Amino acid sequence: MILYILIIAGIRLMGKRQVGELEPSELVLSLIIADLASVPMQDYGIPLLTGVIPILTLLSVTMILSVLTTKSVRFRAVLCGRPSIVIRDGLVDQKEMSRNRLTVDELLEELRCKGYTDPAMVKYAILETNGQLSVLPYANQKPPTARQLKVSVEEAGLPLVVVSDGRLLERNLTALGYDRRWLDKRLEERGCAGPEEVFLLLVDESGAIYLARKDMSI
Amino acid sequence: MKRLWIAAALMAAMLAGSLANAWYAQTLCDGLNRDLELAQTSAQAGKWDRAEELTREVYNTWQDHHFYLHTVMRHSDTDSILRSFRSVLQYLKLEEMDQYAAANADLMAQIELLAEMEQASVVNVL
Repeated sequence: MILYILIIAGIRLMGKRQVGELEPSELVLSLIIADLASVPMQDYGIPLLTGVIPILTLLSVTMILSVLTTKSVRFRAVLCGRPSIVIRDGLVDQKEMSRNRLTVDELLEELRCKGYTDPAMVKYAILETNGQLSVLPYANQKPPTARQLKVSVEEAGLPLVVVSDGRLLERNLTALGYDRRWLDKRLEERGCAGPEEVFLLLVDESGAIYLARKDMSI
Repeated sequence: MKRLWIAAALMAAMLAGSLANAWYAQTLCDGLNRDLELAQTSAQAGKWDRAEELTREVYNTWQDHHFYLHTVMRHSDTDSILRSFRSVLQYLKLEEMDQYAAANADLMAQIELLAEMEQASVVNVL
């Protein structure tokens, strides 16, 4: 428990950029559990209980902390930190960047990953508690939506995988409301003798099909 | 809230288990040391047979707790105590007072440390 708290404090001090996608407490938990589990696994001279009990204790502590973080905003802020606004109205907040050990190169890299090359295009850039950068551009930098353009578009729905690497996923086919006969007909139209000749077949709720034939030479 | 209570109950159960184990280890080791001390007193009085009988009883008690000791304690510690028992029994057969007293003191210290290791004390935690 002492080590757990110590490592959480250390990770929190390191800043969000080091955390990646995990919350600090989750990262610490994975690090310690991996280590605790490996010790009795490697050394038969150490009873299994010396690994099991600390792991159960850590899982219980994490469970308690997760409940407390949902109940208390202040506690959540202490444990996970708060999101930091690193760009506000196109201006880089150097103090926030320094507080989060975020370098200019890292910020620019994150912005480029989101499709923005210039901080001036960004209204807000927020460094989330899980280390991800959320970028909210100025309204005039956002692509117009169909609603804004007053254009009617067809809702395609969620495409489901019906054939994956030659294997038919009948559950997905049934979920879409089609049967094997319908599928065989669609495959025949596209020159396939059966699902075994298909690498990937996606079907959405409107019946639109994406088909990739299997490369039989591989 | 259910998750909170499950976690709290699990932690309480583990704490209770650890405290019970600490108490049990202390009681077991105190009993063993008491009999080893009696054996040494008998040996000092020249009653070597009685000393051997008492030590063998302690050894048998130790062996009866083999499963508990191997699941809770470090095997290197319990194995070391087992080796010490064998030495003490050998010195008792030879009726070598100096060697026996030294080996018995070492055995008792090891048993005492084993119980101490299980105690929920600040020293152990730090």
